[in-house]
Amino acid sequence: MIARTASGPIERRRPRPGARLLTRRASAYAALIAGGVAMMIPFLWMLSTSLKTRSEVFSSGPVSFPTGLHWENYTKMWFALPDVTFGTFFQNSIVIASLATIGQLITCSMAAYAFAVLQFRFKRVLFALILATLIIPFQVVLVPNFVLYRYLPWPLSESGNWIGTNLPLWVWAFFGGAFGTFLLRQFFLTIPLELADAARVDGASPWQIYRRIYLPLARPALATLAIFQFMWSWNDLLDPLIYLRDLPTYTTTVGLAFFQGQFVGKWPEMMAGALVSLLPMIVLFVIAQKYFVRGIALSGLKG
Amino acid sequence: MGRAGRIEPSGPSPGRRGPVAGESRWAWLFLAPTIIGLAVLSAGPILAAFGISLTKWDMLTPPKVVGLDNYVQLLGDDRFLTALRNTAFYTLVSVPVGLVLALGLATALNQQIQGIAWIRTAYFLPLVTSATAVALVWLWIYSPTGLLNQVLGIFGIPPQRWVADPRLAMPSIIAMSIWQGLPANVIIFLAGLQAIPGEYYDAASVDGANRRSRFRHVTLPLLTPSIFFTGVLALIGAFQVFDQVYVMANPGKPSAATITLVYFIYENGFRNFKMGYASAASWILFLIVAVFTILYFRTQDRWVHYQ
Repeated sequence: MIARTASGPIERRRPRPGARLLTRRASAYAALIAGGVAMMIPFLWMLSTSLKTRSEVFSSGPVSFPTGLHWENYTKMWFALPDVTFGTFFQNSIVIASLATIGQLITCSMAAYAFAVLQFRFKRVLFALILATLIIPFQVVLVPNFVLYRYLPWPLSESGNWIGTNLPLWVWAFFGGAFGTFLLRQFFLTIPLELADAARVDGASPWQIYRRIYLPLARPALATLAIFQFMWSWNDLLDPLIYLRDLPTYTTTVGLAFFQGQFVGKWPEMMAGALVSLLPMIVLFVIAQKYFVRGIALSGLKG
Repeated sequence: MGRAGRIEPSGPSPGRRGPVAGESRWAWLFLAPTIIGLAVLSAGPILAAFGISLTKWDMLTPPKVVGLDNYVQLLGDDRFLTALRNTAFYTLVSVPVGLVLALGLATALNQQIQGIAWIRTAYFLPLVTSATAVALVWLWIYSPTGLLNQVLGIFGIPPQRWVADPRLAMPSIIAMSIWQGLPANVIIFLAGLQAIPGEYYDAASVDGANRRSRFRHVTLPLLTPSIFFTGVLALIGAFQVFDQVYVMANPGKPSAATITLVYFIYENGFRNFKMGYASAASWILFLIVAVFTILYFRTQDRWVHYQ
């Protein structure tokens, strides 16, 4: 704009770089948007199927839109099972994911504080050991953990032990975790030690320094860990599949897998179920995208 | 970003002062939950799993020690060998293809243009989805009357049976997993790309390097730490594939075409209650992952450039 008003002739003499830049930019946009739409196809397909009738699903072409918005698929899906609604699964998932998240926030931040700030023997060895568990496939401990929970008594359950309850799905979280400890330690290391030293001179105990200085300053990192743990618990299939026995205790993922077995070929209802089960995570992602991105980048890139 | 992705036992230890009286006691208090967890829920159970793998045990009658029988039996079990082969195929295809695609996508998304945040959101969305729901959607995409066959039909390609076809089942699952795994890799690569100082490109341009040779000689070497790190994650993750197989095998009965190691462990441990047999299989999984991870780390010096 400025160039045009200031000096017409010069602009006319070399219009090409600008034009080329513009076409390059336009084609970059076009390619990126096309790719983005391609990535979204499964979501769009899920949404459009969830609003069709069953006969529409099988008769119409690939890019057809539903004739009307058949929201009743959602109510049919929600109340499809005789004794429980999909809401029960939701509730179970929220309870388990929240408890697991709280446990990880408390115990991982405590361990991370010790590793980042305190001096003690075997620090390097212990930290190496914790990092090593990050690489171990957790399926290796599947059987021993099942055995452990099988012999832990629980008076309220039918079996008398932890099998069939949601305890195996969140109690572990109150006993530390490699990812959270690593993530928070990396963040704690960026907090100047002078802060802790000054507080110590003033007579603060390590616990007070942890509570009053480190936790408040680490809020972004804690948010990142919280979001990831909540997502992992919410999306987990294998553990709930092993430990949950009765329909009313199912999480959304197991509920969905069960649903699939029960409603073969009822694609509109199944897609409605899949969409509803994904919705909380999608909303969380749109609100807190920067925490997701930071968490992945941080844990990967701040060795 | 120099030491990006290098997994080290311990970073710079804050050695600015001598030990404070009582500090290590505090440290052990802070670490108590973690140490209990390590002993009871992860490190201890790995050893316990090995112990159990030497027995025959259905959890109803007392375990019977059988030595290495389970391992010998596994090596002659067709279903196990198939699971091993399928998992190897899954890993060898999904890891490299996933990384190359992510690298290309990250380079494309690394532009400062208007609205890039929204465009990125579209690419990142699969990140937060459960493999269960995603597999359900893709099962529908792959179904005989599903989207894929309809689209191929436009080009006159006859409908395929995808996950129901033994030849196409695993590639179909791999395609879906790559789609779902793309965002995490792209995010790590993007962070790596954005940490490369602009001066490097300026210097290369002054030396007359074009776009391609800048990518080849500046971007790629400086990105090797990120590539190395995503490689580790992808490798470990690929060996653990379960959810997709469970859902797509409708419901929870994979044929020989798609059974994986973790499914084999699940099936034997929690369907057939052969705890010793399942533990032996899980120890083999553990050894494979350990060996591959160590070998992979060994290659580090040859191609990873830390700034």
